Amino acid sequence: MTRDDSRLDEITRKLDDRTPLTLADGVWLYGYPDLCALGSLANRVRERLHGDRTYFNINFHINATNVCHADCKFCSFARLQPGMPQAYTMSIDQIRDKLIERRGQAVTEIHIVNGLHPDLPWEYYLDTLRVLKAERPEIHLKAYTAVEIHDFAIRYGRSYEQVLRELIDAGLGSLPGGGAEIFAERVRHKICRDKATGDQWLDVHRQAHRLGLRTNCTMLYGTIETLEERVDHMLRLRALQAETGGFQTFIPLSFHPDGNDLGKLPPPTGMDDLRTYAVARLMLDNVAHIKAYWVMLGIKTAQIAQSFGADDIDGTVQEEKIYHMAGADTPQALSRVDLVRLIREAGRRAIERDTLYNVLWEDDGGALAGVRLDASVPHWAAARRHLPIVESPEPLGPGGVA
Amino acid sequence: MNSQTPALRVLGVSFLNARPLVAPLRTDPPLGPDGTALFTVDEALPSVCAQALADGRCDIALVPVATLLDHPEWEVVPDIAIACRGAVQTVVVAAERPLAELSRILLDDASRSSALLLRVLLAAQGLTPTLEVVPHGEGAARVGQGVGALVIGDAAFGLAERFSHSVDLGALWFHTTGLPMVFAVWAARPGCLRPEHLEALLAAKNLGLRRIEEYARQYAREHAGTTTSLPESDYATYLRRAIRYGLDAYEREGLVEYLSRASSLLQRPEGDDTAHVRFADAGYAPLRAAVATGTASPVSVGQILDRARRGERLGLREGLLLYDEADLLELGAVADLRRAALHPEGIVSYIVDRNVNYTNVCTARCKFCNFYTPPGGPNGYVLSREILAEKFRETEALGGIQILLQGGLNPELGLAWYEELFRWTKANFSLRLHALSPTEVIHLANLEDLTIREVLIRLRAAGMDSLPGGGAELLHDEIRNRISPFKNTTDEWLEVMRQAHMLGMKTTCTMVFGFQETGDHILTHFDRLRALQDESLLRDNGGCFTAFITWPFQADGTRLKLRDDTSAWRYLRLQALARLYLDNIPNIQVSWPTLGAEVGEVGLRFGANDFGSVMIEENVVSQAGAHFMLTAEQIEHHIRQAGFRPARRNMQYELLTDTPVAPSGAKA
Repeated sequence: MTRDDSRLDEITRKLDDRTPLTLADGVWLYGYPDLCALGSLANRVRERLHGDRTYFNINFHINATNVCHADCKFCSFARLQPGMPQAYTMSIDQIRDKLIERRGQAVTEIHIVNGLHPDLPWEYYLDTLRVLKAERPEIHLKAYTAVEIHDFAIRYGRSYEQVLRELIDAGLGSLPGGGAEIFAERVRHKICRDKATGDQWLDVHRQAHRLGLRTNCTMLYGTIETLEERVDHMLRLRALQAETGGFQTFIPLSFHPDGNDLGKLPPPTGMDDLRTYAVARLMLDNVAHIKAYWVMLGIKTAQIAQSFGADDIDGTVQEEKIYHMAGADTPQALSRVDLVRLIREAGRRAIERDTLYNVLWEDDGGALAGVRLDASVPHWAAARRHLPIVESPEPLGPGGVA
Repeated sequence: MNSQTPALRVLGVSFLNARPLVAPLRTDPPLGPDGTALFTVDEALPSVCAQALADGRCDIALVPVATLLDHPEWEVVPDIAIACRGAVQTVVVAAERPLAELSRILLDDASRSSALLLRVLLAAQGLTPTLEVVPHGEGAARVGQGVGALVIGDAAFGLAERFSHSVDLGALWFHTTGLPMVFAVWAARPGCLRPEHLEALLAAKNLGLRRIEEYARQYAREHAGTTTSLPESDYATYLRRAIRYGLDAYEREGLVEYLSRASSLLQRPEGDDTAHVRFADAGYAPLRAAVATGTASPVSVGQILDRARRGERLGLREGLLLYDEADLLELGAVADLRRAALHPEGIVSYIVDRNVNYTNVCTARCKFCNFYTPPGGPNGYVLSREILAEKFRETEALGGIQILLQGGLNPELGLAWYEELFRWTKANFSLRLHALSPTEVIHLANLEDLTIREVLIRLRAAGMDSLPGGGAELLHDEIRNRISPFKNTTDEWLEVMRQAHMLGMKTTCTMVFGFQETGDHILTHFDRLRALQDESLLRDNGGCFTAFITWPFQADGTRLKLRDDTSAWRYLRLQALARLYLDNIPNIQVSWPTLGAEVGEVGLRFGANDFGSVMIEENVVSQAGAHFMLTAEQIEHHIRQAGFRPARRNMQYELLTDTPVAPSGAKA
């Protein structure tokens, strides 16, 4: 086995000099056989930015409808037309009830993502935000992917800017990063030709950033894309970030094959997951956070990913439907104690954040909500506590949150 | 501050059978490290001892085991008991009629254990005489028509000859359960026992056992001319033969059987499995010594990893430092290098076999297990030949070459049952038998009153090829006493493996973590495996450990309510550390059934070189929350994803060239 150490040294130098990596660098890293060496490289960058912190938040999901006129091959969630088996659409009252059910819970964010419903009126989307805001004004609404925003623009005859302005007026706080899939036209044409193109997705986010919204970005990997197409995807995000600075977090999403048209593809693999996290951390030097979304990745891999570049593990989630319909075998929700414990087990210090990464609570290693955790705090985690943060993430770009 | 600790107040029992345990504490008072006496010693009747311990009037007492039901907090001293296997002579129902014809039995107030034992045995026979408690020693005089008396202790000597229908309860218990009866143990107030106390009590016992003739002579002199006097040689024989002073796996089985039956008789709230015994710590001397020795070896993690990278052997202190401080990825990178050095061909092997659990009936009642049913419990099974034949045929049809055969400690299944099963398997199938963990072998040796070596020789002659390494859990008695107090000890487990290796057999070894163990426990486990492997390899007869496998404890549905770090993150760290420390065990297997294929795949870059088994069937961890299934094609896909070539193997880790590798499902 030959390992090209000179190439690795060169990339290490670039990282130390803050020189952005190239497409070729990314593809080469993907193929580097020594998993732990790749992880160490990503971990260096991660600890430079975040020390031993791992972020989580207390949130829940609303998927208000699974009716969708797009026919994405990788999706197990969408039921194409109203009235098809298992198709559902919540009324505005039902949406409000989802929040009322959680009265007294310290939720700080609602994550709202829907199918592209062909018949709902524009007011439905605005009302969704309005009723939630009316009920709990302090909760941040992270709603509607760029694909949905694009669809609203076409369906209701508005520009992206108009759509976004009206949503912001109704209570929108930020955009989730979904729907990016893979930007490469070849792949998009094969797996999701019915929805926004890569450029349109990026345009929506550009517009959102201009209006002062923070947004997330994602990549769906493990379908038919090549490694070049994955790195290319990261580079396109990096370019927009250089322009606007509005992305907070990159979330790699692995493809789950159950119950969709791509079921013949092999299931996700741990090695590919960890490599993707590491490469993403190294390529996206101007995006502050990399999130290991435990619902999709599984709790075990999400923990390990905290040593491979990730610094966020998402939230308590609750009632996630999209990945669970694709065979994800993770629980529907984790409690706050569960999250803190699994972050500690991964040798990190848990930080509860709000959607915009304001720190709400820091783990001091003590008992939590009456549950004894001391036995599960590993020695090595205690020894590593309070790693210094030596470098701030890239300053946020123009705009800021209004 | 005066660091001198006060002597612990010991209360022994005044009976003859307790003398070997108690007398040496008086005649040769053990001293602590600071030169002061460790104990002050007094004696009383067994029931008084228990009460005094409960009231805090003493720190350590020789207590009847039934009192453990009321005092689960007491710490029991390991390796010491007053027990019997069969007739005991000093726990006797004296009667002039058979047991079944007695309408009334007088109980002795000196020991609740014996009274409870009688009730358990009466219940087993469906007998319901009236029971009446009388003062110690008074019962025998009141035996009459239809009235028997339970006589215990020295008062029972010679009793059998004076009554026409005496029943020895030790013998009746053995006849009923096939197990030893434990009458008394040293119990202590929680937190007061230190290692020197345990060592002193054990040393006193060893001294006492060498003085049995002396105690017998003494006792005969004291009782010359009384009604209970016997020749001196009878007392010596009693102490030597009837009473057993050890508390090994077999006695522990007997103890839990007694506590379970007693508990259900007393209708304790949770029914059958309320038997809890806390054994006091038994430390690992080499580790304490290693920690105590100065700073002769390298002290930085980096230096230790450099040594490991060069393939040098790590010491206990170095292992501990890595456990405490080494980074996951540093450990992984060095473990990956060591894996590559040991297996440079870039192949990751796996085996196609089937896990068959022939019975779920088990006496060990381990708290971490969700598979077993106690004897006589509902849902107990023993697989029939028809079912086994079907499973074996399926295994062959699926390309399987081996059966991993394990089961519970079922008192109904003797050695002959296994011998017939193995012979039948070999006569009808071309499957290897990777069969019976050390725990099962010990159980068979006890059941048949054979040595471990004899059992292994007979099983091997019947067709057993190799031994799986299950039942090791954590090879540190401090942990074992907490999670599986009734199962074999560390030494017993290792002894089975030693004997198997001496016979030239190959075995595997395992470690389960997540029992709130510390680095000391983990390193002790590694160190003991490595030391035994050194010993076995020196013999050069082919007998050795072929592989090490570790996995996290699966807690669902088990009675072990502790919470510990069982994360995949810790798993990878421990496996990598194992690759560095266990330098003489050639193969490390990932445990995908407990962790999932994704982590299993990643584990191949953290020291492992084997993907385990296709496992056509698995019943034990899947009962406790592990639900993963993989086909050979999927296993090979994961092996390729990790950058290796897959190959099938047998238990000896020889690669099989005549079996086709499954079609590649890997993507580019």
